[in-house]
Amino acid sequence: MWRYLFRKVSIYVVTFVVAVSIDWAIPRFMPGDPIQGLLSRMQAQPQASEELTSFYTEAFGFDVPLWKQYLNFWAALFQGDLGLSITNYPIPVTELIMGALPYTLALLVPAILLSFWAGNKVGALAARRKTLDNTVLPMSYVLTATPQMWLGIILAWVFASSLALFPVSGAYGFALQPEWSVEFARSFLHHWILPFSALFLVAFGGWAIGMRNLIIYELEADYSNYLASLGAPTRLVRKYAYRNALLPQITGLALALGAVVAGAIVVEIVFSYPGLGTLTLNAIENRDYFLIQGIFLFLITGVLIANLVIDIAYVFIDPRTRVGMQGGA
Amino acid sequence: MSTRRRGKAIGAGALALVAAVIATSLGVAGAGAGEQSAFALPRAQTFYMSGSQWSPYGDVNPAKTWDYSTGTIGLAYETAFRFNPLTGAFIPWLATGGNWRTNSVYVMNIRRGVKFSDGKTLTPGDVKYSFDLLKAPTHPQNALWASTGLKTVKVVGNTVVFTFAGKPGYQQFDFYRYNVAIVPRHVFSKYSTTELMTGNLDADNIVGTGPYAYVSGASSTAQTFVWQRRAGWWATKALGLRPAPRYVVDIHNSSNQAALANFQAGNIDLFNNFAPRSAIKGKFKTFFNKAPYHLGANTTWLFPNTTKKPLNDPQFRRALAYSINMNQILDKAYQGLVDKASPTGLLPIWSKWVDKKVVAKYGFSYNLNRAKAILAAAGYKDTDDDGYVENKDGSDISLKIQCPNGWSDWMTSIQVIAESAKAAGIKITPGYPDYGTLVDDRGHARYDLVLANDRQYSNTPWTYYQYIFQLPILDNQTTVNYERFSSPKAWALTQQLDRTPTTNTKAYRAVMSKLQTTFLQNLPAIPLWYNGMWAMFNTTYWTNWPSATGGKYTPTAWNNYWQMTSIDMLTHLKPAKGN
Repeated sequence: MWRYLFRKVSIYVVTFVVAVSIDWAIPRFMPGDPIQGLLSRMQAQPQASEELTSFYTEAFGFDVPLWKQYLNFWAALFQGDLGLSITNYPIPVTELIMGALPYTLALLVPAILLSFWAGNKVGALAARRKTLDNTVLPMSYVLTATPQMWLGIILAWVFASSLALFPVSGAYGFALQPEWSVEFARSFLHHWILPFSALFLVAFGGWAIGMRNLIIYELEADYSNYLASLGAPTRLVRKYAYRNALLPQITGLALALGAVVAGAIVVEIVFSYPGLGTLTLNAIENRDYFLIQGIFLFLITGVLIANLVIDIAYVFIDPRTRVGMQGGA
Repeated sequence: MSTRRRGKAIGAGALALVAAVIATSLGVAGAGAGEQSAFALPRAQTFYMSGSQWSPYGDVNPAKTWDYSTGTIGLAYETAFRFNPLTGAFIPWLATGGNWRTNSVYVMNIRRGVKFSDGKTLTPGDVKYSFDLLKAPTHPQNALWASTGLKTVKVVGNTVVFTFAGKPGYQQFDFYRYNVAIVPRHVFSKYSTTELMTGNLDADNIVGTGPYAYVSGASSTAQTFVWQRRAGWWATKALGLRPAPRYVVDIHNSSNQAALANFQAGNIDLFNNFAPRSAIKGKFKTFFNKAPYHLGANTTWLFPNTTKKPLNDPQFRRALAYSINMNQILDKAYQGLVDKASPTGLLPIWSKWVDKKVVAKYGFSYNLNRAKAILAAAGYKDTDDDGYVENKDGSDISLKIQCPNGWSDWMTSIQVIAESAKAAGIKITPGYPDYGTLVDDRGHARYDLVLANDRQYSNTPWTYYQYIFQLPILDNQTTVNYERFSSPKAWALTQQLDRTPTTNTKAYRAVMSKLQTTFLQNLPAIPLWYNGMWAMFNTTYWTNWPSATGGKYTPTAWNNYWQMTSIDMLTHLKPAKGN
């Protein structure tokens, strides 16, 4: 077991180092000089621009060779320092990310968990049931093939612009400020439903289709037929089929995390939701090296940790893995 | 329970969940529309505005004029003077007046009885301190000290005396008279120089003389920035002014579309984003009640890279200017929401300085035949019969015109420019790099043709000529002279304009006339149209908005406009009846 864990963790560490290095490199090799962009935005007078250029170059650590910037980056990283945002100078990147993170998590976590739970349940129900299969299956195909952003736009258009049932954008009403109050919670929920739905529905479709197909496969497996021939109730047979079908779905969850995070980013942009997605867009548009780096680093770490957790959880969920690791047959 | 029944139960459960979510949301929607919460701001007393803030809130440093949270100068900090661009008049504000004692000594009289929001009295020492802050080379407004000839600022009694070496840069100094925030020395002296120049400062410690006090929103993820009217604003007693809204809430921008949907839903009162003409209807009003609906806030220019062949040839630039079908741009990109610019590029607020004779002689307007004739006369001919003219040496001309990606009105405009230039025989292809790349390429002269509109309303056309003619040309031209037009004569004239007081009308007019001649003879940049001061008003909650027939004030929350006349918009608003 420990060998298995060690192997897994080693792979994740290597992946992390490579991903972080790429993350560091990409913005630096993008065309455009962020400091000149900042000076242009400032409309700094030419007399002042030389002074300001050297001030900001030093402030952001661009005055040292690239290899040193790379080492400095790692050194700072281990101290939890992701640098200062360029466009929002001198706000630290971590502060910007921490400010946006709760909004993204509030969308992502329920969307991932609920869609996984509901999609699998509904998919399992749909298998071998004609009426459900004829309705849930085509609907799921449509949903899973829909880009989250497009679904978001449709939802916003129908339920916000046309029917005016939900707000078009933002995470809470303009008359409020974030605080622990019933009023704020209600407003937050009201603003949350559409972006959540855009993420939930697309993922839901995927899980439902996957589970429906897996259940059919499992129900046709020898063990199911054997159980049925022993006179076991259908419910019991389906229960075993469900458990077995769930395993590939969990692997799928690990694989899908990256896509869901990417989906959340675009959905946030559609709804002007003040999470990491909107922050990412602004950072990219403004060539904010450190902010882009910081957000990606955060996402990379998040997805890697989630994958690791799923890998470990797998050991406990699937007895075969455990037995295999202990040297059993 | 059988599997079938269990399945039904789960199905019913799922349906119930969906129903519950919908019911809750509808309930919330209903509650949001009707009930008034103890936490929420009262709608009828709150003024919502959008279209100013694109970077996160959090910066309340009045030195960072491009970045500070909406209202930092204007609502909290104030300036010695204000400037009304629509009348050209300076408005005494924290100063009761000022005059040039000699050609190089300016005396500013400081208003008595003005109190900061912490109760301390504004002194001439605070004013001196505020102007002295600009001495630091990293201060964004350092040009006051670096290029006007200003040598000392001293307090004498209740006045502040500005002494210049030689002939002052009157035009620039006038600009700073209404653009330098007067800040409390007793608060600001506790900040370090770096914090004062480049920091964001502490929002909970905003101590200004203005009519509003900070409430909330100074955080990187805040959606809104909230100001609350404060008691004891000096102008109420001194000038009988009182802003109508109890709360002023600025809404952070994410996209024009989202903002427009919110405006149309009645959540925004002042809409300073761009919106199509079709949005102006019913209770949504604008400054003018007919085209162009909005005031023109700045000139959009077409900058040619004058270091490249054939754009280094004034005749070629002239032919290009003649080839641009401006009416088509106004129609296709703006549906008539903007006006075409004067050939001089000067804003309508400076029209009194336009020399009509010069314009008649050297001006231009869309005329394909004229464009073709100028090209032919200058030696640009289509030698290979591909429909496009070639360089004088026979090499192909293939120019690229660029604007930032996503700026949809500009993207349409450059397509029109490319099309109409094609009709004149000039090959131009539109391109849409992202903003950062464009700024970088523009600064380093890695472009052929770009659009830009950086310079806004101001007290002086000097800001426009400096934008076009400033020398020397640096490796990276971040803010001025993108076209790299190197004319010591034109730059000398620009400096001469700076050193001519506006009150010396005769001399001023003479320099302006020479500048216009030089500009039109060379066309280092081609003026296109006046970009609008986009402003739509929702008349449901507030009335008596600025208008061409009523109060002529700048109807915008954009930075640097509050100390022009946007603050007058707030003091003249009236709550709508029934609210």
